[in-house]
Amino acid sequence: MRNGSFMRKLRLAVLMALPVCGLAQTDAAQTAPKAENKFVGSTVCKTCHPDVWLNFNKNPHFKSIALAREAPDKTGCEGCHGAGGNHVAASGGKATIRAFSQMGPEQVLNACLECHAKDVSRANVRRSAHTEADVVCSSCHSIHKSQTPKFLLAKRQTQLCYTCHAPVRAEFEMPVKHRVNEGAVQCTDCHNPHGSVAPSWRTGTSSAMLAPAHDNEMPCLKCHVDKRGPFVFEHASVRVEGCGGCHVPHGSTNAKLLRRPVVFTLCLECHNGAGTFGRENTGVFVQSSSHNMLDPKYQRCTLCHVRIHGSNSDPTFLR
Amino acid sequence: MRRIYFAVLLMPALLRAQDTVAPTADERVGPVRGENKGDYNIVQSWEFGYRFAAVGGNQDKYRSDVNYRDGIRLLNSNFTVNSKDGKGRWFDEIVLSTQGLGNDPYESATLRVQKNGLYRYDLLWRQNDYFNPGLTVAAGQHLETTTHRWQDHDLTLFPQSHFRLRAGYSRVALDGPALTTEQEFDSRSDVFTLFRNTRQQFNEYRVGGDGDWKGFRFTILRRWEYFREDATDTLSGGTSLTSFQRTQPYRGNTPGWMGNLFGERKWIAVNARFTYAGGRGDFVQNESAIGTDRFGAAANRQIIVTGNGDRPVTTGDFNLTVFPAGRLSIINQTSASNTRMVGNNFFQQFDNKTFSFSSLNFQFLGVRLVTNATDVRYRFSKKFDLFGGFRYSDREIRSTEDQAAPGFALDGVSATQSNHTKAGVAGVNLIPMKNVRAHLEGEIGRNDNPFTPISLRNYHAIRGKVQYRTKTGSAGVGYQENYNNNSIRITAYSSRSRSYSAEASWNAKSWVSLDTSYSKLHLDTIGGIDFFAGSPRSLEIEGEQSVYISNIHAVNIGLRFALKKYADLYVGYNLTRDTGDGRGNAFVSATSFSGPAAAVAGVFSSVQTFPLTFQTPLLRLSVRIHEKLRWNFGYQYYGYKEDFGLFTQNQNYRANTGYTSLLWAF
Repeated sequence: MRNGSFMRKLRLAVLMALPVCGLAQTDAAQTAPKAENKFVGSTVCKTCHPDVWLNFNKNPHFKSIALAREAPDKTGCEGCHGAGGNHVAASGGKATIRAFSQMGPEQVLNACLECHAKDVSRANVRRSAHTEADVVCSSCHSIHKSQTPKFLLAKRQTQLCYTCHAPVRAEFEMPVKHRVNEGAVQCTDCHNPHGSVAPSWRTGTSSAMLAPAHDNEMPCLKCHVDKRGPFVFEHASVRVEGCGGCHVPHGSTNAKLLRRPVVFTLCLECHNGAGTFGRENTGVFVQSSSHNMLDPKYQRCTLCHVRIHGSNSDPTFLR
Repeated sequence: MRRIYFAVLLMPALLRAQDTVAPTADERVGPVRGENKGDYNIVQSWEFGYRFAAVGGNQDKYRSDVNYRDGIRLLNSNFTVNSKDGKGRWFDEIVLSTQGLGNDPYESATLRVQKNGLYRYDLLWRQNDYFNPGLTVAAGQHLETTTHRWQDHDLTLFPQSHFRLRAGYSRVALDGPALTTEQEFDSRSDVFTLFRNTRQQFNEYRVGGDGDWKGFRFTILRRWEYFREDATDTLSGGTSLTSFQRTQPYRGNTPGWMGNLFGERKWIAVNARFTYAGGRGDFVQNESAIGTDRFGAAANRQIIVTGNGDRPVTTGDFNLTVFPAGRLSIINQTSASNTRMVGNNFFQQFDNKTFSFSSLNFQFLGVRLVTNATDVRYRFSKKFDLFGGFRYSDREIRSTEDQAAPGFALDGVSATQSNHTKAGVAGVNLIPMKNVRAHLEGEIGRNDNPFTPISLRNYHAIRGKVQYRTKTGSAGVGYQENYNNNSIRITAYSSRSRSYSAEASWNAKSWVSLDTSYSKLHLDTIGGIDFFAGSPRSLEIEGEQSVYISNIHAVNIGLRFALKKYADLYVGYNLTRDTGDGRGNAFVSATSFSGPAAAVAGVFSSVQTFPLTFQTPLLRLSVRIHEKLRWNFGYQYYGYKEDFGLFTQNQNYRANTGYTSLLWAF
C-alpha cells in the first residue's frame, strides 16, 4: 500500500511542517524489503518449512500458487511474508522476512489489507471497534494452524469470540438465549467482526459491528422475517429505536429475551404519558382506564395486544 | 515431518473447549488422517450415536430452554476433499459439515464446493425445533411448537479474477401449531385462547457482481425478497365464545439494491455505499366470532380488513480514511438514511346485535437520520496509542395518523420532531509489559429529544480490558459500564449496567488444559410509571415506579485431560446465578400507598427482581478403540431453579441429558 520512497518524501515534508508529525515513521517503511531482496518462489520455502507446505494446498492462499496469475509479491509464501531472498541468504531468521509474530497490530492489518481490503464485508475494518482495540487479523485468524477450513479461524467461532467477550459468553449460558453454544446460531449471523456502517434504525453511537438485514435494517429481521412488515400500524418505537427497546439480543433470565421478567413493567415504562416522547411529541399513550392492573388479565399485556410488533388491522395491536 | 504435520492437525482439538454435550466436532482418531485418491486428499469423520434425556419438573420450560430429547442421531460429520495441486478438473475443494442430523432440535449443514479461479459455492442449512410455552408472559396461552428452517445458497463465479459474478438464494420457513389469544367482544370481556396454524415463508433471490478497475472495486447487488404468511386462528366448542375463525393472508415483497465503491491509495481510503430496500405488504383479514358478551347477551361479530403497507428504506454511507503520516489515521463516516412507512386499511365490522362500523385508516411514519462520526488515532509507539472521536446524529421523525368513516374527510394528526445526539469517545491502547495488553475507552453522549422514556438521553459508557497472553495460556480482566439517565420533569428513568469479567485459560501440556471465566452482570433500572387500578372503576395511579434489579454471577469452567493417545476427558461446569436484590421472598411490604395503589404496589414489588439459579455441569469422555474409531460418551445436567416464581408460575426443572456415540474418522 505504501512504498518506502513515497513515505520518505512524505516524512520529510511532514518533518518540515509539523514537529509532532515529524516523529512519524511508517510501519510499512520499517518492514519494507531491502532493495537487493529477491523473490525466490514458494518452492524454496518448503525446504525449511515442510510442515507448513505439506498442508498448504488446503489453505485458501494456495490459490495464488495454483493459478499463477499474480505477481511474485502477491503469490504464495512471499505474497504475505515478502521477498525471501535475504531470508534464504541468511539461512532463516525472523529479522530477514516479514514475520507476523514480530509485527505490530497496524502492520498486520496493513499487510492483510493489501489484498483483502476491497471486499464489501471488510470495507469498514479500519474504523471498526476491533481495530480501535488493536484486535486485528492475526488476533482471530490463524493462517497456518487454523481450526476451521473456512475463514481460517484460530478457534471455532464462538470460542474465538468468547476469548475476549466473557460477559457475552455468560449471556449465552443463560436459560433463555439464542442458540449459539448449540450451533444453531453464529455470532456472525448478527455481527460483522470487520466493522459495519452506522445503523440506520436508531441514533447510534457505537455500531456494535452489526451486520444489517437488507444492508440497512435491523439484523434481527434476517431470521424473524414476520416482524419486518411493513404494517399499517407500526409500533413506532420498534421502527425508530429498534428491537433493543424491549429485548436483549444475546441471552437473558427472562422469557422471550425480554428486558424485564414480566410484560407489564416493560410496557408501562414507556406508556406513562409523560413528557414530549412518542410520535406526536406529546408523550406515549397511557394505558386505558378500563385496565385494572390488579386483574391478572391486564398484567399480561400481550394477551390482548397480540400483534405488538405491528398490526395491519388495529392501531392498538389487538389483532 | 509427517509427525509434525499431524501434530498441527491435532493441536486445535486438544485446546478446544465445549459448551454443550451436543456435538463432538473436531474430534480426531489417531494420527492417520486423510487418504489420497488420485489428485485429491480426502479427510472424513462420522459420529453416530444415541442421545438420551430424562427430565423432571416443568418439562415445558425444559423444552423452551434446552429441548434435547431421545433418539438416534448423526451427531456430527466432517468431510473434506482437496486437490493436491490446486488444479482439479471439476473442483479443488469440497467441505461438508453437519451437526445433529436425525432429529436433534438444532440441526445444521454447511457445504462449500469450489474450483480455483472458476467458481465457489456455499450452502448453509439450519433447522431449529422451537418450543415456548410463554408461561410468565402469557400463562401458557401463547404456546408455540414450531419448526424454523433457514437455507442460504451463494455462488460466486471467477472468485479470483478482477470481475466476479454472484448469485444467491435464501429461504426461511416457519411452521407449526401454536396458541394465541383474542379478546371478545369488548375491551372488558374475557380473553380466549385460540389455536393457530402458523405458516410463514420467506424467499430471497440475489444477483450481483463486482469488478476492479484502477485500484477501485465496484460492487452491485440486486435482490428480490418475497414473504407470505397464511396463519389461521380457530376456536370451537367454547362457552361464552362458541365459535371463532380468523384467516389473515399476507403477501409482502421487498426489492432491493446495494452498490459499493471502494478505493485505497497510499494515504487515503474511500468507501461509498448506497442501499435501497423497498417493502410492500398486501393483506386481507376475515374473522368471525359467535358467542355471548360479558353481560350474557348473544353476540355475533364479523370483521373484514383489507389494505396494504409500504416501507422503502434508502441509505447512503461515505467512509473516508486518511493516513497523513504513518502513525496518524483520521476516519470520517457520514451516513444518511430515509425510511418512509405508509399504510392504509379499510376496516369493516358487522355486529348483528348492536351495530355496524367501518373506517378508513391511514398511517405514515417517516424517519430521516443523518450521522457523522470522526475518529482520530495516533500511535505514539508500538506500545502506546490514543484515539478519540466525535459522533453526531440528526434525526427527524414525521408522523400522520388518520381515521375516518367512509365518505368523510380525513382529519388526522400530523407531527414532526427532531432529535440530535452528540457523543464523544476516547481511548487508549497500551502494552505496559511483554505479553500484556490493555485497552480502555469511554464514551459520553447527549440526546436533546429522546423518542421514548427509556431511550438514550444522558448516557456514558466505559469499557476496559487487560489481557495477558502467552503461547501456553492467557488471563484477562474486563469492566464495562453503561449508564443512561432519561429523567425529565414528571417522569424518571435511570438504567445502570455494569459487568465485571475475568477469564483464564491454560494449556500447560499437550495432555491438560484449563479454560475458565467469571462474569458479574449488574443491572438496575428505575422508571416512572402511570396506570389504572381498582374495581369496579379503575383509578389513575401516579408516582409509582417500575424497579428492576438483577445481579447475575456467571461461571464457566472447563478442564481437559488426555491419557496419552487413549482417552480424552473433558469436565465442565456452567453456572448462572441471579441473586436479584438480595430479598428472600417475592413480596415486600410497607409501601406508602393505600387502597388499590397499595395492592398494585405489592404486585409491582413482586416483579422487581427475579432470582434464580441455572447450572449445567457436563462431562465428555472419548476413548480410542482403534486407529480410526473412538467411543464417546457425554453427560450434561441442567438444573433450573427460581427462588420464587412470577405470578406463582413454577418453572423449575432438572434434566439429565447425554449421548453415547461412535466416531469413525479416516
